[in-house]
Amino acid sequence: MSKVSRRKFLAGSLAGGVAAMLAPVKKVLASGDFRGFPDGMGVLVDLTRCVGCRSCEAACNKEQGLPAPDLPFDDDSVFDETFHHGTQKRRTTEKAYTVVNRYEPKDSDQPVYRKVQCNHCNEPACLTSCFVKAYTKTNEGAVIYDEHVCVGCRTCMVACPHNIPAYAYSKVIDPVVKKCIFCYDTRVSKGRPPACVEICPAEALTFGKRKDLLRLARARIKSSPEKYQQEIYGEHTVGGSAWMYIAGVPFEELGFDTTLPNEPIINNVKGFLGMVPMVLAIWPALFTGFHLLATKNKDHDHHDDSHTGEGEK
Amino acid sequence: MEKLADYGIKPLAGAKKPSGGKWNVMEKLFLGLTLDQYIGQVVRNKFNWLLAAIMAVGIPFIIYRFLFGLGAVTHASNDYPWGLFLGFGLFCMVPLSASGFMLGTACEIFGRHDFEPIERLALLNGLLGYFFAVIYLLVDLGQPWRLAYPMVYAWGPAAVLFLVGWHVAVYLSVQVAEVSTSFFEWIGWPRGKEFIRKGTIGLTVSGIILSTLHQGALGALFTYAPGKVHPLWYSAEFQWILFFTSSIFGGLCMVIAVSTIVIKTMAWRCDDRFKETLDDLTIKLAKGASMALITYLVIKIIAVAHDNEWVYLATGWGAWYLFEILSGVIAPMILLAYGIHHRLVWLVRIGAFMAVVFGIVLNRLNTALIAFNWKLYQEVPHVAEAIIAVTIFVIYIATYRFILNRLPILYAWKAQPDAVPAAVAVSASPEREQGTPARA
Amino acid sequence: MFGVSNWHMKGLLLLLLTLLLPMGVYAMDAPESVTIDTIAKYYEPVEFDHAMHMDVAEDCSVCHHHTTGTGATNPYCSKCHSENRESATVACQGCHSADPFSAESIRRQGELNLFHDDLIGLKGAYHENCLGCHRQMDGPTGCEDCHAKTDAGERLYHSGKYAPEPSTHSAAEHE
Repeated sequence: MSKVSRRKFLAGSLAGGVAAMLAPVKKVLASGDFRGFPDGMGVLVDLTRCVGCRSCEAACNKEQGLPAPDLPFDDDSVFDETFHHGTQKRRTTEKAYTVVNRYEPKDSDQPVYRKVQCNHCNEPACLTSCFVKAYTKTNEGAVIYDEHVCVGCRTCMVACPHNIPAYAYSKVIDPVVKKCIFCYDTRVSKGRPPACVEICPAEALTFGKRKDLLRLARARIKSSPEKYQQEIYGEHTVGGSAWMYIAGVPFEELGFDTTLPNEPIINNVKGFLGMVPMVLAIWPALFTGFHLLATKNKDHDHHDDSHTGEGEK
Repeated sequence: MEKLADYGIKPLAGAKKPSGGKWNVMEKLFLGLTLDQYIGQVVRNKFNWLLAAIMAVGIPFIIYRFLFGLGAVTHASNDYPWGLFLGFGLFCMVPLSASGFMLGTACEIFGRHDFEPIERLALLNGLLGYFFAVIYLLVDLGQPWRLAYPMVYAWGPAAVLFLVGWHVAVYLSVQVAEVSTSFFEWIGWPRGKEFIRKGTIGLTVSGIILSTLHQGALGALFTYAPGKVHPLWYSAEFQWILFFTSSIFGGLCMVIAVSTIVIKTMAWRCDDRFKETLDDLTIKLAKGASMALITYLVIKIIAVAHDNEWVYLATGWGAWYLFEILSGVIAPMILLAYGIHHRLVWLVRIGAFMAVVFGIVLNRLNTALIAFNWKLYQEVPHVAEAIIAVTIFVIYIATYRFILNRLPILYAWKAQPDAVPAAVAVSASPEREQGTPARA
Repeated sequence: MFGVSNWHMKGLLLLLLTLLLPMGVYAMDAPESVTIDTIAKYYEPVEFDHAMHMDVAEDCSVCHHHTTGTGATNPYCSKCHSENRESATVACQGCHSADPFSAESIRRQGELNLFHDDLIGLKGAYHENCLGCHRQMDGPTGCEDCHAKTDAGERLYHSGKYAPEPSTHSAAEHE
């Protein structure tokens, strides 16, 4: 029953009292939130180690069978590319599930490189926003996507706080969402690290169980406090994620959104979702009651007939 | 049509010809005119030419979109997944179509039968608004042929959009049923009408439930994007209430706006009861709308106060926000209040148009597009995207007119011709003949 | 060899070791050069000039931590590894696994009683260690400054003869 999460509970409430059938979820409900599967895997990205070689991009491209890049993967001129009048750096697209960007923080004599990919949230916003349930959070921690049910509404892209899912806008027949799947099919489901982790020459990426990685990350920070920032990005951000980052400079200088809430995105939506069963249950009686009150002592059958003119009698 | 009326030709308004025989469907479609007369009045109307011109330009773009994909006609991107099709088509059309459930509730639930002359217009406005919101959606979806998946194949019931999908689908059927009474009258099948009439209360109550939920749900969709929508347009707690309350004045003001256009351009189709009661009803609708406007304004202020967003008001975004509030909420509220108090229907109508354009359309565009990704960059929609959005809206207008011209929405259906048709014809003709030179 | 745990003899041995070991290591064990071929799939093997790096580094512990018996320079490590004893294994791959994310390695990560639970893999150890000094001492830092890509490497990186047509990529500023 470990798979019965709060999302499923909410699903039950929406279906109108089906929640009663989910008796074994009591424990999950009592805890109030979901912090990932106990043996979920993750990756710790140590940005102090990343050398910006873009090998992870190359390995991802090969592993996922993505189209050839515009420039070779060892061409570092891509770090100078900017978009939308210089405001944006490269982001994940339907042709690149991971990208590395270069930042030049003011307190660092070396440039700092940041790898971007799906963070595989514990409670993914994409998953909770999908109305055909195309997304699955696997026991291994990967957030995977079933393109055979995707309708193409792109709500997941609106919902993703990290701006990760990309859409194949150029496709006509089968445009689908494209994003990192943690190499789930080919590797992580078999206990092997994803392709980017395996190729990383500097071992900036550490693959392991999320709970162990958190401990390792804290140990690294503690053993070299002068080298690291104190935060672990992804430990709590939007409910925590399988991929987490530690860095030597403040995260906001590396393009991270540090204003994101620590609560999962779905918590923002709960107020409304909780109201739904109320409206479903209360409105019918309420408004039928209003009707009876408002039309008391009045001729019920009279109304609307006047609209059709006197001719119909 | 007015020109024909000058010649004493009256549009079809009942089941039977003045001679006593029944109109057949073809004759009903041609409004009881001969083919020559019908085509003549279609061609004479310059508005038809405008609609045709826009469609001639726009429909090829719609075809182009389905041949070459969304990327070819939109600036929808990985950062801006939603463009005008949803930003305008879905998020604006749906609140402006709240009229159906508003007036349905007033007439059927609260027994306010004084609203009946305009009830059918409100119901039709609701039906068409939703229908075309779905059309916009179909154009925007990556795989529109899978639209029914959330209904039948792959359920994601915890998602807000699942709720929107189901509710819009069910509500669309409810509205079809509600509007079908006029269709059954027109087609001449009273038993169908009776069947629907028996379920009126049920249909209306389900309409309230579904409307409350999905109007709110459209707002709740944006609570998935706390970091993306500008804080002034975002409120985790109040987003759905804001969308719901604004849909109330949106729907009511839309009925005022549509009825204004109808009475100015299609007076020949309105019967005396509609014409005589419209001013009175406009004031009554305005009363309802101003209640909703003040409620909306208060919740807007509470939302800013609750998240302590006052500081944003001093920024450029704040100025834009204040412009939206002033032009879309406060100004209409003042105009409506003054208009109601002094019974100035024209002022009420100006207020209603402002509430529709700035209170709803600007607000939804701000939330979905303009203030979206405020931390990243601003996206300008593709020209083709705007052309397609306008074209679909023009098809909406054309459909709206087509139905208003025929079904007994603005006029009461006469099962029998007027009591003394011969007398009417005789008395009418001289009047017309007298009137014609004066007008010419 | 020296680390026989005969605690009674400890005092005596230590005395001997402090005198003999540094010379012994330099003289006996250190290889002139090491062939590094852990990523030979994509890169040609590297002939690592060990003798030259010994001269540059001066202290073995710069690379070999405490294992050569010269004492650990890092105060954090020296809490345990202050004794100057050569370890049973000195080569990098003796500790740093060439497969750092094997099932066994991942199990190690969760081993709460284990001190070295965050042991970097072999490839990571090389690069972390090399690049740090190379940056400071202006040594080579580009990938192919040390190891040229193999054909498979060029294919993977879409570089060299597998490079994409330059025409497909125009400007650095996109809209």
